[in-house]
Amino acid sequence: MASVRTQKEIRQRAPLWLVSLLIVNLIVMAVDARDADGQQKVLRIWTQTFASPLQNASSKASNATSGFFQQIWNFRSSAQENEQLKQRLSALETELNQARQAETENERLKELLKLNEHNEIRSVPARVIARDPSVWFNTITINRGSTSGVEVNMPVVTGSGIVGRVITVSPFASQVMLITDEKAGAGAVVGQLGQSGALGSVRGRADLGVALIEMRYVSGLEKVEINDNVMTTGQDGIYPPGLNVGRVVDVKNGTATQAHQIFIQPGAQLDHLEEVAVLLYHAPQRSAPHETLPNVEKSGK
Amino acid sequence: MPPLKIAAILIVSLALQLSLRAVWKPLIYIDFPLVVIVYIALQREAWQALVVATLAGIIVDAQSGGLIGAGGFSKTLTAYVIYFAATKVNLENPLLRIPVLAAATVLDSMIYVFWHRALNYPPSVPVMQTVSYKLIATTVVGTLVLYLIDSLVAERSSQRRQFATRRRVARRSTGSLRRR
Repeated sequence: MASVRTQKEIRQRAPLWLVSLLIVNLIVMAVDARDADGQQKVLRIWTQTFASPLQNASSKASNATSGFFQQIWNFRSSAQENEQLKQRLSALETELNQARQAETENERLKELLKLNEHNEIRSVPARVIARDPSVWFNTITINRGSTSGVEVNMPVVTGSGIVGRVITVSPFASQVMLITDEKAGAGAVVGQLGQSGALGSVRGRADLGVALIEMRYVSGLEKVEINDNVMTTGQDGIYPPGLNVGRVVDVKNGTATQAHQIFIQPGAQLDHLEEVAVLLYHAPQRSAPHETLPNVEKSGK
Repeated sequence: MPPLKIAAILIVSLALQLSLRAVWKPLIYIDFPLVVIVYIALQREAWQALVVATLAGIIVDAQSGGLIGAGGFSKTLTAYVIYFAATKVNLENPLLRIPVLAAATVLDSMIYVFWHRALNYPPSVPVMQTVSYKLIATTVVGTLVLYLIDSLVAERSSQRRQFATRRRVARRSTGSLRRR
């Protein structure tokens, strides 16, 4: 009889529990949505702090497993690859000699122009320890956090191109939003910075996945061709100028009144990221537009 | 179901969910915490199902790029719907779990996407394609996982095992008596 009563009680109280738990979730969701960008989120930081050792361990285990199978596969094709590599080596030696000559020439020219190249952007190497556990987003988790000097909105890159920006930082791990995310974006230019006028912005699109990103707002009068390189302009306040974004793989040509629609293959292999670098870069502070207007009353005068 | 067992299953499911994508990308389409929630809801344990759903949802949300609470909301509501159905209709049959898992996956995904769209936080993958893959993966693997949980954890199966042992012992003793 007692158990029957308990079952009845449970049945009666279940809607009450449901409503209270749904309200809790709604409040958390509303708070998270309110400060979605540019701010640290306490709940995320705590879970990341506790989950990062587990993710570190699983990442090492999965790397070891895939490495083992990769080695077996490599062994099979090693003889054929050896021959190809010998041929490639001789070709590369020639290229290397040419590159050395070009480098010395470059040095001389720099001295002539008295270019003082100060590369002040320091970077922190990091390993990807986890990917988004939900199927709906494409964030990655790296094994560097605030103890390594990583901060929110710092750019993350690989040798071949930009990866994304840091969105959450815990002491020993950080979450990175990939450039292919719909909410990610970067100022970019088709061609060389300072030489090309094909300026626009790149952003992800859900239907394109991680394979492609879209570039918008490039004037239809600018000439854009397939295989053109796309670089960052530094106007977004996140990425420094001159970083590789990717190359153009498709262009829907615009007109004098309509912008081009350009599809870019990211330079970084976003699906197979293992090691990345966080650039400890802070974009130069810009004065707010209302302060730069000529007729504005300056404070303190 | 004892809370310790529930906690153990939940931890294992969360560990799998947080780490399996690094092993092989398509494994992400299996929603392990949802399978556990469906299992508990089918046992008609409302309180446990709802709490586990909220906890699992919020933990996964906190690790993902989406809104914290959206997964908690969708999983809690899904858990209640399944619990409610289980109190009205007998869903004990293992074959009936297949459509239940499929329905739970679709409902959970739809609520999750709805909240993200409503709060201007659109998912960065194509919705219909992702729901389809998730439906197939979670239903197929989830059916096997439910069978596994049932055979390892459920009280009925442990009772069955105990009875089997007792029967074996009884048979042995009667056999030896006959020989005498």
